[in-house]
Amino acid sequence: MRLALELILFPGFAFCALAGMVLSWLDRKVTARVQWRVGPPLLQPVYDLVKLLGKETIVPRDAFVFLAAPLIGLAGVTLVGLLVGQATLRPDLQTWGDLIAVAYLLTMLPLGTIIGAAASRNPLASLGASREMKLVLAYELPFILALAVAVIKADYALSLGEILKVQWRDGIAASSLSGTLALLIAVLVTQAKLGLVPFDMAEAETEIMGGTTIEYSGAPLAVIKLTKMMLLFVMPALVATLFLGGLRLDAGAYGVGMGALKVLALAVVATLIRNTNPRVRIDQALRFFWGPVAILGFVAVVCATLGY
Amino acid sequence: MGITLNALTRSLSVFHLAASPCNNCDIEILDCLTPKYDLERFGIQLIGSIRHADALLVTGSVNRKAAERLKLLYEQAPKPCVVIAIGGCACSGIMFRDNYNFAGPVDRLVPVDIYIPGCPPKPEAMIAGVAKLIAKVRGEKA
Amino acid sequence: MSMPLTGFADRFKTRALAWEEKRARRLYVEIRPSDLLETANYLYKDCGCRFVIATATDIVTAITVLYHFAHDASGVMVNIRVTLDRDKPAVESLTQLFVGAEWIEREMWELLGITFIHHPGLKHLLLPDDWPNGVHPLRQDFRQDELPPPCPGRGAEENR
Repeated sequence: MRLALELILFPGFAFCALAGMVLSWLDRKVTARVQWRVGPPLLQPVYDLVKLLGKETIVPRDAFVFLAAPLIGLAGVTLVGLLVGQATLRPDLQTWGDLIAVAYLLTMLPLGTIIGAAASRNPLASLGASREMKLVLAYELPFILALAVAVIKADYALSLGEILKVQWRDGIAASSLSGTLALLIAVLVTQAKLGLVPFDMAEAETEIMGGTTIEYSGAPLAVIKLTKMMLLFVMPALVATLFLGGLRLDAGAYGVGMGALKVLALAVVATLIRNTNPRVRIDQALRFFWGPVAILGFVAVVCATLGY
Repeated sequence: MGITLNALTRSLSVFHLAASPCNNCDIEILDCLTPKYDLERFGIQLIGSIRHADALLVTGSVNRKAAERLKLLYEQAPKPCVVIAIGGCACSGIMFRDNYNFAGPVDRLVPVDIYIPGCPPKPEAMIAGVAKLIAKVRGEKA
Repeated sequence: MSMPLTGFADRFKTRALAWEEKRARRLYVEIRPSDLLETANYLYKDCGCRFVIATATDIVTAITVLYHFAHDASGVMVNIRVTLDRDKPAVESLTQLFVGAEWIEREMWELLGITFIHHPGLKHLLLPDDWPNGVHPLRQDFRQDELPPPCPGRGAEENR
């Protein structure tokens, strides 16, 4: 019973959706300010989603897969939000292996995207799907290496709560060399997972007219947009938990404030990277993630094992 | 007026449909999104796919090849979708009306909600037109 | 005339029907249609000129085609004119020398009816594919009422 309430309200779906909407507004506002513009009002993400609920939904022939695919992504992101939230609220509950669960659940979003794009029966959508597949292949390797560093730094603990407690005791993971490298890798991987420039070639707006989301309209499109907004909250929260010590409830209001600041800072960093870079090609992204970033990841893992 | 229609007026995704224009109106449309006029503060953003469109910005005197595509794109846009005819060519065809390749103007092919004349219309004229459109959709006096 | 194009003057000035150096860097030459391929080849390969565009007009007595070449290093533009018979205008296609002439020759064919010999595929470029055969809009004797009507409208008498 409590689990169901936590899943739906706090820290599950409703909380992640609200936080995601605020962060997505912040992203658009910071982008506008960087471009010397004014930017949209605070309630803009709400208007966007409510408007989409009022539009008609046009489906291709395989309607079931087409309509179910966005829900796969939503489920994955909600569950990751729940796991990170539970680890922050009750770090003493030794849920062994929830870091592995998080890594798997995060791949549900690209999976849903690819399946939905394939069910769209549109050549541009399949182009976007193939790019998304290659991008996932590219960033999963450095992501696992960064997670490995977090695990090693926490005395080989695979539970998010345990990682948090070790950081509260010994200092945040990013204060060591390997932790800093892993944080850097995590920031780059976040950029790719969120599908933000320079890694938004799967949903390239002007190039392939929306890519994976080209055929979506109405309520399914609202689900896709909401999932992306939620990921904008969940990914920084995960990275903050693993490398920056997360949100420390037993430090009172100061802890809550610092935790929120960490998530905010990571989201703003993602926005600033988005505003200062051009889009790269998929082969450049592959070469980037399997080249310099993966090498950095291996170096970080070696340093972490050696204790640096 | 329904809550979703109200939200539509606060978050308009525009699709730019160039039906054989001279591209002057297209340049002025892009001007509206630059920092000087900044349409994003009204929630207006440019999107890439017709399925995401709430407003079709049609420019150009529609020629025979573009006429079939214009009708097809209007059918593909999920309703409710407004059509905005930008520029003299889209509104009435002006000097191209008797041309051998003319198949417009836009309201002969799709229902138009707002006409913004001009050759090309200034960004201020386009913003005024969009404001009148929003007032019309909300049912207020323009 | 700038240095690289003196070779052009030496070889073709005597064969040209008209030769006018209108301004410092503008050369207007009229040649016979049979000389077109050789002239264009010399300008493109030996002088290093760039083919800019081709234009065609129906002056009532004939149909003229102008080819515009630019010598970018010196800023010289050479305009070659050929005059074709009005009833059956036909000239060698420049796609045999460079691919870039393909589309402009398609446009000249569909709007004026000029046949380009050895063109890879003369089909419609700007006009729709169901355009009636033999009707060329930019000709002086084009009659608009011979055209079929454009695609049907939505049939509503008033808007919405």
